Order: sequence, then structure tokens, then C-alpha cells
Amino acid sequence: MNVDEFVKVFGERFPEAEIVVSENKQPHPKKRIWIQVDRSIFKDAMKFIKELDPMAQFSIIIGMDAGDKLEAKYHMELFWEEGESLSVIIGTSAPKDDPKLPTVTDVFPSSLPYEREIQEFLGLFFEGIPDPRRLFLPDDFPEGIYPLRLDETGIKPEMVKNAGHPYKIKKEGSK
Amino acid sequence: MKVPPTLSTVLSNLFKKPATNPFPNTEPVPTPEGFRGKLVYDVDKCVGCRLCVMVCPAGVIEYVPEVRKVTFWLGRCVFCQQCADVCPVNAIKMSDEFLLATYDKYDDNLRWFKEDEIAELKRKLEEQKKAKEAAKKEGSK
Ligand code: SF4
Ligand code: SF4
Repeated sequence: MNVDEFVKVFGERFPEAEIVVSENKQPHPKKRIWIQVDRSIFKDAMKFIKELDPMAQFSIIIGMDAGDKLEAKYHMELFWEEGESLSVIIGTSAPKDDPKLPTVTDVFPSSLPYEREIQEFLGLFFEGIPDPRRLFLPDDFPEGIYPLRLDETGIKPEMVKNAGHPYKIKKEGSK
Repeated sequence: MKVPPTLSTVLSNLFKKPATNPFPNTEPVPTPEGFRGKLVYDVDKCVGCRLCVMVCPAGVIEYVPEVRKVTFWLGRCVFCQQCADVCPVNAIKMSDEFLLATYDKYDDNLRWFKEDEIAELKRKLEEQKKAKEAAKKEGSK
């Protein structure tokens, strides 16, 4: 399946999805398919991709604080066994007052560490996640603070430590 | 007993010279050309453009606005050479020096343009300013 075929098949199944194909020419020509869907059909879209290519390679989830909503983009490589693979980035979002997305761990099991990471760093939660424990943050890190948030639930200024330049600080023992 | 496959290599290596450099009894392995060692700062050349402060990824450099120069604490330097590359007047260079261990993280060897030098330059600038003003007064009389 090539880019145009994928766009056609996906567009027919999900007419409400926004699909954009980008192309970078140099140094490595590659087309990428960018899909934006509402979170209500997001899970179905992921299932559909898995049906299209059961061998799909799930790469990563990238979460982002986009003002009043939280965005998540899921990167996948499809049909890599057929030679040149298809790069698909499917994005969805959740409002900040209801920061929930369906988990896709039952479709792509390898998405679990990314979902755990996004839960603790961005405060975007995945409904039905089989293992909601923290992954990277220390256990004594305060609850309700999400380091990648740009709003008031992000890192507080007093949590930021700077080891200081000797010209700026005059500590005991410094010459 | 099975003969280990490495046996012949081990035996032949036993009769070779050790391939080591017994520093500090010898000179260290020579540095190649373009080696990035301790950086050297030339205060007189510096025009205070602050470009080096902007590119430094490690917070080594602080701007000193009163004298329009910069001050370095190399305890944090990652030897990336970006400051030397960006400096428009070549006031920063990377040297060959790499034996930089100290007992104190604020050791003099890890600083360029320290507080006392800053104070001295400040004094000098003020004197110059006074001299200029005095000359002006003389001229207007
Ligand atoms: S070499 Fe790199 S880390 Fe060191 S002072 Fe220059 S810019 Fe900063
Ligand atoms: S880039 Fe060079 S001239 Fe500019 S402030 Fe740094 S050392 Fe001085």
C-alpha cells in the first residue's frame, strides 16, 4: 500500500478525519501522513490501522500542552516489510478540564511506556491503562504537578535549582 | 581437556612488550591538532557582544555589564568550542591543556576574569572617565 492508497482507504472509513500529506525533499525524500481525529473515533482509527497492517510498527507517543487542550500524536511505520514504509502520525486531543484519552495498549501493547510517561509528565490520562504506575518521575515527586505542563500545574519556580556561577553567588569557601 | 581457543593468542602476547603509556612517568599521549582543551580568554580583545553567553550550553559564561566583558567558570565547560567559534574578535581560543584536576571547584585555574580583575578594570575605567571630564573642563575654560 502506498501513501495515496492509504489516504483513500482511511478517508473513506473516517470521512471526518483531517488528513494532510507532507513531503520533505532533502536530504532524504519521504512523505508523511498526518491525521487529526476527534478522541471519540480515535480508538477505532487505531484499530483500523492495525487491521490494515497487523505488523505495524508503533514508534512513540508525543504529548503536548496546547493551551486549553492536551494533544497527543502517535507515530507509526506501516508496511515496512514491503520495502519502503509508510510514515503515519495520528493525532488527537483532550480538553484540559477532562484530560482523558482511551488507552491503545490493547491494540499496540508497546504503547504502554509512552502512556505512562504522558500520564506523569503531562497529566493526560488514559482510560483503561493496565499499569498506571509512574515510570520516570521519582516516587517522592509531588502529586498534581506535571513537569511538561505550561500552566499552573507545571513546575513551580521554587522547584528549579541552579547550581550557580561563582561570579553570581558568594558562598562560604569560594575564593 | 579442551584447549581454549584463545590459548595461542595469550601465549604469543606474553612475549610482547606491554602496549601502555606509564603516565606520569612519561609524557601523556600527544593531543591531535584542533584538540579542545582548556579555553583561553583574552580580556583586552573582548568587545562585550555577549554572543558567547548566548551560545554556551553549559552556563560557563556570565556577562559583567559594568565593564562590558565576560567572566568564565570552567568547572562547567563541556569543551564544545561554540564560544570560540562564535566570537567575532577571536577573544576565546581552545588550548592544548587538559590536566585540569583541582581540589576546589572554584580554583583560579578554572576561572577567567575574576572579581579582583573586574574591580581593577572598573577602577581604571573610572579614572579614564574622570581624566576625560577634567580635560573637557580644561578645554572649555
Ligand atoms: S567551550 Fe562550550 S561549554 Fe565551554 S565555555 Fe565555550 S561554549 Fe561554553
Ligand atoms: S563573543 Fe567574544 S567579544 Fe563577544 S562577549 Fe564573548 S568573548 Fe567577548
